[in-house]
Amino acid sequence: MAGFRGFLDGTQRSVVAAHLHGVPVVHGTAAAVIRERRNRRLHTWGLPLVETRVFAPREALTRQEWGALTSRFPGRLMDTTDGDADTGSHPLALRDAAFHRVQAHREALEQRLAERWCATESDRLFVDGGISGSETVAVSTCTVGVVKSHRTLYAEGSALQVILGLAHRERSSVFRITSTRRTTVASWYLRLRDPVGRDPMWGLVRVEVANPDSTQLHSIGDRADEVSRWILAESSPLALPDARWDKMVYAIHDCEEFLRAVAG
Amino acid sequence: MSSILGRVVATERRPNTPHEFHFWTALDSPVGIGTIVRVDGRDPVNGVVPLVYGVVTEGFSWTDLASPLHDVMGFDGSPSAESLSQTDRAEIRLYTAAVLRHMPEEPLQPVPMGTVFLADEADVAIALRMDGYLKPGARTGIPIGVYRAGGTDAPIYLDADFLIGPEAAHLNISGVSGLATKTSAVEWLLQSIFTHFPVQKGSVAAVCFNVKGPDLCYLDQPGEIDDADRSLYEKCGVSPEPFEEVQYYAPYKSDGVSLNTLRSNEALLDNVTALTWGLREVLQYAEVLLNKDDVDAKADALIDFIKENVLDKRFVDQMLERPHTVTSFADLDAWFKDVLRALEKKDDQSWRTHHVATIRKVRNRLSNISLRCKGLVADDGATSDLPFGSFQDRTVYVIDVAGLEEDAQDLIFARVVTKLREHLEKRDLGVQHVVVFVDELNKYAPGDGPETYVRKMLLDIAERGRYLGLVLFAAQQFRSQVHRRVVGNSGTALYGRMDGDELATPGYAVLSPAIKTKLATLEKGQLMVRHPHFTQPIFVRFPRPAVMRGRDGVSRYPAAQAPSLHAAVLRTLRTLDPSLTLGWLQDVTQLATDDEILRARNDVVRTRPGDVRREFAKHFRAAVAPRTAVRPDAPLPLPAVPADDPYGF
Repeated sequence: MAGFRGFLDGTQRSVVAAHLHGVPVVHGTAAAVIRERRNRRLHTWGLPLVETRVFAPREALTRQEWGALTSRFPGRLMDTTDGDADTGSHPLALRDAAFHRVQAHREALEQRLAERWCATESDRLFVDGGISGSETVAVSTCTVGVVKSHRTLYAEGSALQVILGLAHRERSSVFRITSTRRTTVASWYLRLRDPVGRDPMWGLVRVEVANPDSTQLHSIGDRADEVSRWILAESSPLALPDARWDKMVYAIHDCEEFLRAVAG
Repeated sequence: MSSILGRVVATERRPNTPHEFHFWTALDSPVGIGTIVRVDGRDPVNGVVPLVYGVVTEGFSWTDLASPLHDVMGFDGSPSAESLSQTDRAEIRLYTAAVLRHMPEEPLQPVPMGTVFLADEADVAIALRMDGYLKPGARTGIPIGVYRAGGTDAPIYLDADFLIGPEAAHLNISGVSGLATKTSAVEWLLQSIFTHFPVQKGSVAAVCFNVKGPDLCYLDQPGEIDDADRSLYEKCGVSPEPFEEVQYYAPYKSDGVSLNTLRSNEALLDNVTALTWGLREVLQYAEVLLNKDDVDAKADALIDFIKENVLDKRFVDQMLERPHTVTSFADLDAWFKDVLRALEKKDDQSWRTHHVATIRKVRNRLSNISLRCKGLVADDGATSDLPFGSFQDRTVYVIDVAGLEEDAQDLIFARVVTKLREHLEKRDLGVQHVVVFVDELNKYAPGDGPETYVRKMLLDIAERGRYLGLVLFAAQQFRSQVHRRVVGNSGTALYGRMDGDELATPGYAVLSPAIKTKLATLEKGQLMVRHPHFTQPIFVRFPRPAVMRGRDGVSRYPAAQAPSLHAAVLRTLRTLDPSLTLGWLQDVTQLATDDEILRARNDVVRTRPGDVRREFAKHFRAAVAPRTAVRPDAPLPLPAVPADDPYGF
């Protein structure tokens, strides 16, 4: 069957649970789920992943404090200063670092589920967000990543004008995204809804699929058309009342509703 | 064990209580309004996992849309665009159920979170507290129908102690006309009662007033039922047969010859008996027929005087021309004439303290009764009545009053029910319990309007009948228009399809909107039941009664043409002596007037003599025996003329 069978999304919730002499301790819950479409209804595929962690900067705490947290949350305490980020001692910076860890935790759960799908299923999986974070997922032909946010624009100048000028159901040409820390993927922009009278990003998503090898390179345009049609088919029903309904497909909204129910 | 149907859910906005809870189900679950469910609690209380039984009273469904406008936008305002949608919106089925029973009953707590199952037959019995009266050896259950939901077919039983008495009694049934619900339900229930009424509770009979059309005229004839009905009969343990014992009573038409009933076909007359009453019977219930505004205290006093001193007694008064023995309306009228003539002769204004105007008024009113109720009230005092004192167990006595004037209907109703009550009080009716079925109750016991004898009597039955074994089964289209003490005293209430306006009246405020909707759309053969043991209304299906429907009966057994006087009298007498012939009857009555023939018939029917021929013939003058005309002998020939006759020529 053409189109998507599975839809993957994740959520995270971060709460500052306490301050230890000004140092924030963050309680984070990350969750991810794949909702599988059967007979036009969405059902949970496998088991959803829901994990809670406590995030705190070890360097900013005393040994006793860190020890107390460790004994209180065995296996769930995460150090937000174990990487290369220099967060300093500003409480808000420390908090933001923790929040980023929660977000990373959510991405990890999403990747774990996507890898499971790729290992067991051959039908297409719609992933909310990019797919380049996991090589397994990024090279799979069954995963399609759809990015709603455009904090990074992969075009400038006249190319950007082309993208911003895309009309309803139009796509850009396919381009390759490479990164030292991520797997290379093929990508294009797609306009899901009529932007007339709206802001330039209205209904604009960026699609990521596995980077074609040399034998598939000539057909990447056809593949982009096919995948774009699948995504456009998901534009109904609307994902309202979600504020991002112009870019969000309904099944992803359903994933979020599900995760809100099971993970809070 | 059945599979899980749903899960109990409670929110701050929609909490569960000890009497109500909410649960959600899959979209394809077989739950509907009226479905009985069981909740298995999660946590034991006092070491026992609580079970809660409930009946679904309301249902909700919604999607994740915040506004209908969003859906319109999603389809670009085109409903036909739905097929383009790859995914159906998430949707919820949420139900509200009213608690039927907690197990254990104490401590009474809010319904716990738990799993919800469809109730099976055993669950239904527990939920409706039927387990209390379906115990082997002390079974008092009367099947009213079958509860059906999600593959569960469970017979629903009423408790005879609460249907026939003495704990509670009476049954009231409401529903719109023309859907074969009210009368059919009562016919079915009577069959069920006759089958299942517990032996230890004694005997039971039914008296049914047929107030319209041929509804109850063919209770002893088999009707058409289908396989679905048969399975309901089987489930309820009732044989799908018509009533075995039915006796019909109908007054004569105004001609006094033919019976005033649609059951007049020759083939069905075996169990049809004339209903005629004389002066004594009618005067006892004079207030039924006499308008209170018209007959004042003075008139009442005169009527009492007549009842006490004139009726059935030899009445002698110096002022009157002759002694009177008043046993009939004709005698009474003669007595009145004598009294008034005497007053005129004396030019007096009062007799024995009764003013002449009062005497004239009472004469006028009482004489009028025999005209208004002609056919029922016999001028000659003849009485043919129900067999008070020898009622038979499991027998239906149908009194056909459909063709009568309202006054006559009231009179029959009042007298029959009062007589039943009197005999039940004395324990000499012949049976220990009588079910009286009255249709059109809003006519006999209206919620407003003047106080009538019939209404007072119905109120009395409703409030005190259960102690006597006198049980009222009443039906009406609009329950809200019936006196609330009558319906309020009905332990059991049945509802067929209801009119929307009726459901909007305050009496139905306790029902949820969904229950009201279901009531307004009930199919034929479905009822909502309220019974003292059931804490919530329950929906049941009942089979078509296995008796011939009225309109089928009318076409299969068309009413007989109005017979001649002789044919009608012969038909009546033949029930006592089948050997009688029309020729004999014509010979015996050839010199009699019509009134004399009817009087003789009534007398024979009343006395039921062993020798019907002789007793009937005694009423008439003997006619000269007919003789065959014989030609007289030829006259003798004239003597020959003498030869010496001087005048001969």
